[in-house]
Amino acid sequence: MSSEPAAPAGTRTRASTAAGTAAASTSADPGSPAARVATTPTGAKRLSQVSVQRFDRTERVVHWTTAILMLELLVTGAILYLPSIALRVGHRALVENIHVYSGLALLLPLVIGVLGPWRAHLVADLRRFDRWTRADWDWFHVKQKRSHLPAGKFNGGQKAEASFLGGSMVVMLVTGVLMRFAPSSWITWQQGATLVHDVGFLTVGVAVIGHIYMAMSRPEQLKSIFTGFIDRKWAVRNNPAWMAEVETEVADKP
Amino acid sequence: MSEHDQTEAKDDTERSATHVGRRAVLGLAGLGAVGIAFGAKVDNAIGGALTSVSNKLGGLGALVPGADNFRIYTVTGSIPTISPETYRLKVDGLVEHSLELSIDDLRSMPRTKLVHYFQCVTGWRVPSVHWEGVKLSVILEAAGVKSSATAVSFFSGDGVYTESLTMGQAHLPDVLVADRMIGDDVTAEHGGPVRLYVAPMYGYKSIKWLDRIQVSNQVITGYWEQYGYPINAWIGGQA
Repeated sequence: MSSEPAAPAGTRTRASTAAGTAAASTSADPGSPAARVATTPTGAKRLSQVSVQRFDRTERVVHWTTAILMLELLVTGAILYLPSIALRVGHRALVENIHVYSGLALLLPLVIGVLGPWRAHLVADLRRFDRWTRADWDWFHVKQKRSHLPAGKFNGGQKAEASFLGGSMVVMLVTGVLMRFAPSSWITWQQGATLVHDVGFLTVGVAVIGHIYMAMSRPEQLKSIFTGFIDRKWAVRNNPAWMAEVETEVADKP
Repeated sequence: MSEHDQTEAKDDTERSATHVGRRAVLGLAGLGAVGIAFGAKVDNAIGGALTSVSNKLGGLGALVPGADNFRIYTVTGSIPTISPETYRLKVDGLVEHSLELSIDDLRSMPRTKLVHYFQCVTGWRVPSVHWEGVKLSVILEAAGVKSSATAVSFFSGDGVYTESLTMGQAHLPDVLVADRMIGDDVTAEHGGPVRLYVAPMYGYKSIKWLDRIQVSNQVITGYWEQYGYPINAWIGGQA
């Protein structure tokens, strides 16, 4: 893999999108943001100050398809794993097949996301997850002063979560394949795979619950995984290093 | 500003910081590989201790990984409830005399006790399970197997699950028609009042809620075997 700096991401502002939409649609609801841009001479400029793109369409599609598969895997996994639920639900062959085949599909959105021509933002953000600055390590030390850390687009906690879930998905895929498809002479490895898969179920379950909890308690960030955009002021406050980077990119543009 | 200058200027930013994320991912993958390689040993060594922890946790105990607990499988929507008083095990097909055996009939026949693990094909195992019942070969002998018979089919009271053995496999000394396990009558969850226990094969051969034994001249494809699991389900692929 090349170690060249990634293509800058997150430089597109909402104003261009909104203005484009308004121009294309003259009958827009006057109350909508797009219409406001069209009717206010300085609106476009002001809106570009308001929000900045955090996730592009590829990232949102990859996130939500993976999220749906992940939740479904946790639910079907719980049914297969816990006798008390297994007894209530039954239909083991059906549940097992749903679990196994959606498990095989779990990494597909991410793989397709990083292989296609739509990959730039996603790959740039994966590189951000990879690189840990001083601030990212400090995130784990100075709990009460996290807001003062010069975090990039993602803070240390988010990076840790991303790496943990990424690695876990690979481990769950490999152990799951061993459990379901390995030849019977691999029985010792299957037993090991089962233990790893069980531990993985618990830790991934905790990580996903933690992820959902953090998202719910930060509505501004949560909104950005739906809309792709985040409030600029919020980003300046929480991700100063990222915003400095975005400003530089904008300034660099002719 | 050239790309080089830009990189220099951002020396303390994400662009130049240490690759931690990919190491973490690789580290987890490595841990997973270690777990696959040595998990069985760890499981066998501390499974018993984990089981006592698991039992103390009550309903949440099943969450403890590696504990020596049964996972309860049912392929239909609910587990059949079969009264031991009215239960009859039918034995028919290519036999001299069809039988209908009550629990009392089974208890009056020559009894066999085994202590042997239960091994699931997906990898979990429960060590040292106490099994008690009548050898399948004893029941087949009582019914009188005709010389043309080559196989034995089994049908579950859940109305869906089926299994089969060759006549040779059915006569192995560690194949039991079990009405007691773990020191008690076989519970409904474990396939009671009567289930099969095929010690040398994976758990899916040990059909639960055993309802009917049919002697035939054809090995049928059992329930899980239709989903690709081997018909000759020797544990570890032996023989």
